[in-house]
Amino acid sequence: MSGGDVLAILQGAVVTVTLSLTGILIGMPIGLALAVLRWADVPVLARIVTVYVSMLRATPLVTLLLLLFFALPNVGIAIGPVSAAILALVMNTAAFNCEVWRASLMNFPKDQYEAAQSVGMGAGLRFRRIVLPQIARVSLPGLVNEMSMLIKVTPVLAVVGVVDITRAAVRIGAETYDPLPPFLIAVALYAPIVFVLVSLQRWIERRQIMAEAAA
Amino acid sequence: MTTCSLVRRNPIFKRAALSLIVAVIAMPLLAGGTKAASLEEIKKRGLIVATEDDYRPFEFVKDGQPTGFDNELIADLRKYAPFEIKQQILPWTGILAGVSTGKYDVAITAAIITKERKQSLDFTSPIADATHYYVKRKDDKSISSIKDLNGKVVGVQAGSALLARLPELGAMLEKEGGKMGKVVEYTSYPEAYQDLALGRVDYVVNTIINLQTLVAEKPAVFELGQAVSGKSFPAWAVAKGNTELSEFLNGFIAKEKENGRFAELQKKWFGEAFPNLPVSFEPEF
Repeated sequence: MSGGDVLAILQGAVVTVTLSLTGILIGMPIGLALAVLRWADVPVLARIVTVYVSMLRATPLVTLLLLLFFALPNVGIAIGPVSAAILALVMNTAAFNCEVWRASLMNFPKDQYEAAQSVGMGAGLRFRRIVLPQIARVSLPGLVNEMSMLIKVTPVLAVVGVVDITRAAVRIGAETYDPLPPFLIAVALYAPIVFVLVSLQRWIERRQIMAEAAA
Repeated sequence: MTTCSLVRRNPIFKRAALSLIVAVIAMPLLAGGTKAASLEEIKKRGLIVATEDDYRPFEFVKDGQPTGFDNELIADLRKYAPFEIKQQILPWTGILAGVSTGKYDVAITAAIITKERKQSLDFTSPIADATHYYVKRKDDKSISSIKDLNGKVVGVQAGSALLARLPELGAMLEKEGGKMGKVVEYTSYPEAYQDLALGRVDYVVNTIINLQTLVAEKPAVFELGQAVSGKSFPAWAVAKGNTELSEFLNGFIAKEKENGRFAELQKKWFGEAFPNLPVSFEPEF
């Protein structure tokens, strides 16, 4: 393995982080929006969300990606490998995030909501001030869990030509006929990426505990 | 709120199943709508070429740069073609599907010409002679000829022509009173070679060119066996019926043959030139 090979895996790491971060940042709010639609039981939309979530949770990411990548051009939508990859990640993770958010919405104490209503808070303000801060806290472990799954599922994006950490390692193995060193480096790279995420979760949780103690 | 126990009675569950069925039925309709881009369209928007990334010596990536026999030809094609060449690099799995659905115009890789593939794809002139051979572990003394392969575990790429033509080896073995052992399919060859080295399979079938490169690189681990198929030729693949494009590419290949560049690249990457390649090939299998 040459220095160029190590560099290629590091470039793969940049792709892995960028794509999963993009997927998380777009997918998480969409998941929240879907959960609220179901929670509020918006007519028609709530049912569509239910169907969407059950279908997406039943579809393997790689199958969804191949379907988007090869079927969309047939209906006149040109889509590149990176956009197809991000779209598939977002569609997938939004469905799972929806369920995490919904779980904490279902357990949200109704009396608090009614109390806010009685002091004349509007629906938007009620949600932002009363509901969101509390469900975000309850959802955090589940969301971080889903995020770390998303990072580790990125190697399947390689089927459409996205070169992530694992694909970069596979390529090097194919060139040197010696796949173990690149795979060792690949494994060593995933751990710190997920660790950063988990540390971030701990930091947020600690800050909340401190804020509560101060209150 | 909908809970798990309610889902079964919920009409939404039925609707989800229904929409899945509709999606499954609609897919072939969508796929049927594809058509290959004409040369006129390609001149306007550029030629979209798909290549593999782990098929040494045809195409592979070294220090982050695509290289190998086909990639050097693409460099020449860029000078030859009066239009832009856009290259996409991806694993084998999606390549032929991408060409037949019109996502890519041509697969510039070593796609072996087979009867089955000719139903959905057209092929250019062959780019090499790729008779199928087997490779074994050097320290495995139990295999020295074809008949020793009786009942042994073979590794081969899934969806490959090498897999499709394994029955030929089966026939050879049956003539000797033996039979094929278990067949293990891999998404690509590096995994198959690794499993061979680890002893999970006893031999791996691939083209002579790929195996010669492997053995030259790892002479202490692997040893080349004998031929396990008749004649076999790899070529570039375009969508079925895109004769304009295949004729254009055949013109390029003919020119590269004429000026000696083809033989030079074959010698560089395969270790030998194949001066007697046919211009077109009709597969028996």
